[in-house]
Amino acid sequence: MIIKIAFKNVWRNKVRSLIVILSVTLGLTGGIFAAAIITGMVEQKVRMDINNEISHIQIHYPGFLKNFEPQYSIPGADSIAGVISKIPDVKAVCTRIRITGMAASPNSAAGVQIVGVDPLQEKKVSTLYTTISDSGGGYFIGNKKNQLVLGRKLVDKLKVRLKSKVVLRFQNTDGDLTEAAFSVNGIYQTANNVFDETTVFVKKKDLGLLTGNENSCQEIAIILNDIDQIPIVEPSLKSRFPGFDIRNWIELRPEMGLITSTIAMEVYIILGIILFALAFGIVNTMLMIVFERTRELGMLMAVGMSRARVFRMIMLETIFLTTIGGIIGMILSAFLVSYFHRQGIDLSSMSKGLEAYGFDPNIYPFIKIKLYFHLTLMIIFTAILSAIMPARKALKLKPVEAIRVE
Amino acid sequence: MNIIEIKNLSKVYDEKTIPVYALNGVDLAFNVGEFTSIVGPSGSGKTTMLNLLGGLDSPSGGEIIIDQTDITELTSRKLIDFRLRNIGFVFQSFNLIPVLTAKENVEFIMQLQGVNKDQRDKRTIELLDSVGLGDKINVRPNKLSGGQQQRVAVARALASKPKFILADEPTANLDSRSAENLLEIMEKLNREENITFIFSTHDSRVVAKARRVITLEDGKIVGDIKRNNAPTVPHS
Repeated sequence: MIIKIAFKNVWRNKVRSLIVILSVTLGLTGGIFAAAIITGMVEQKVRMDINNEISHIQIHYPGFLKNFEPQYSIPGADSIAGVISKIPDVKAVCTRIRITGMAASPNSAAGVQIVGVDPLQEKKVSTLYTTISDSGGGYFIGNKKNQLVLGRKLVDKLKVRLKSKVVLRFQNTDGDLTEAAFSVNGIYQTANNVFDETTVFVKKKDLGLLTGNENSCQEIAIILNDIDQIPIVEPSLKSRFPGFDIRNWIELRPEMGLITSTIAMEVYIILGIILFALAFGIVNTMLMIVFERTRELGMLMAVGMSRARVFRMIMLETIFLTTIGGIIGMILSAFLVSYFHRQGIDLSSMSKGLEAYGFDPNIYPFIKIKLYFHLTLMIIFTAILSAIMPARKALKLKPVEAIRVE
Repeated sequence: MNIIEIKNLSKVYDEKTIPVYALNGVDLAFNVGEFTSIVGPSGSGKTTMLNLLGGLDSPSGGEIIIDQTDITELTSRKLIDFRLRNIGFVFQSFNLIPVLTAKENVEFIMQLQGVNKDQRDKRTIELLDSVGLGDKINVRPNKLSGGQQQRVAVARALASKPKFILADEPTANLDSRSAENLLEIMEKLNREENITFIFSTHDSRVVAKARRVITLEDGKIVGDIKRNNAPTVPHS
């Protein structure tokens, strides 16, 4: 009966209740959608970085990541890659030559990371090839020697185009400077300007010959079936190949690890602040309700309704009022997030700023299901918190005085 | 048989500054089946008396013994439960729960008492029939006239099978026809079912129907008249 009365009481003053419900709905929808945009941006960035650049796990010779010099080559890299590819959770493995050098055109020059790849292997690990547009050439087409794939940003900087010659200059394994002319064969474009401007790809076979060691390999990149399998596979690799520097994507990109680990906290803080602000409105409304119903509450206590029941009734009214808004807000935001997750939000007007930080200007909002579960608890907690003051106010009423209030 | 016994009852307001005696050493007893009006000018102590009898307020001194329980000794929690099981209230301004139907308003008290649904339904219908509202069971208070609302309030007061009903100015907000009708119903319930009614009133129509009239003035009983053959215990 208390539940029934409390629920009916919510609809006593429909306009007022609807305003509270609407404020909770809009507050939560806005909060969840904002959280979904932030989460979507970060998730996209992580996925993009993993798929285009770093993969899930990388293996290097100790010291390579400090010096980036060709002599830090992994001995027996191909056989190690062969062993790793047989691990059940591993989706694909590739070996790479990675050295620092200079890319020069007749117009300009730039410092770059030169990555030598086996195109067939690489396509299984990295999706970079998918970022080459129809007008951007191809990803190592045919057997032609000295093909070069570089980013759109670097193309603009060097003022070159497809089939232009670019000279790559770098140290070979003996420490001598060597150089060779490469033909622009493909132009990729990711959302990460810095990466696009500083990373060029050539065939591993071509680069190996130029470095003086055809079997040279500075990097083994591993992609797993599922990112969540890293904590299982990484320790196993470390124990099997103890002499190497084995790192997961978070260790390779600590800043990304930091963002992903703090983003959840940020989302909860945003929603917490919204709910906290809404709580003030709810408290105000409920206090008004208690004030308006003083005589009725006095009557209820006079005829024998215990204070505990009165307290429970006010608590329930507040919980109903808040959770109705909360549920509508969650449903509405789920629709919004789902719609924009499919359609994307085009922020190309801000693409320069976003791409400078490696974020895709097409954002696909995303929210984890567990957030909805946590949010439900947060809403109930907010409702209970908001109800305490009005309910205590009701408890303090003296029936003898309350029933005479006009 | 005494249902209520009041001994040396007093209620003092502003005890620490200038004491005002709302009730001053009142001794009184009520029998089962009485139909009593407490009358007196404003400030005479009528409402205070009713509040104390109903356990809504605590006295400054004295005892109120209802069916062998001194309610002045009860804790707040026990007093609420005592009210629920022993006392029915009819208020001047009806005080029905606006979101509930007539039936639900009456049933509500029984739900607080833990009466099962079948019994509740049966008794609610009987009570609403007895106050002439058998055809209004699913109507909300805002669709009922003042007189009808007060009749629902009487049915609600009877729902808990109380030992007596306290009615504070029950006809004050009613037109004469509704007031007459309500009084007839209460008188009938008193006569046929021996239900004890104690009124606080200014209304001469209520006084005219009462079989005992207690007059208060300055917190003291200045008159206690019984009429017809109503059982009345004189104050000592």
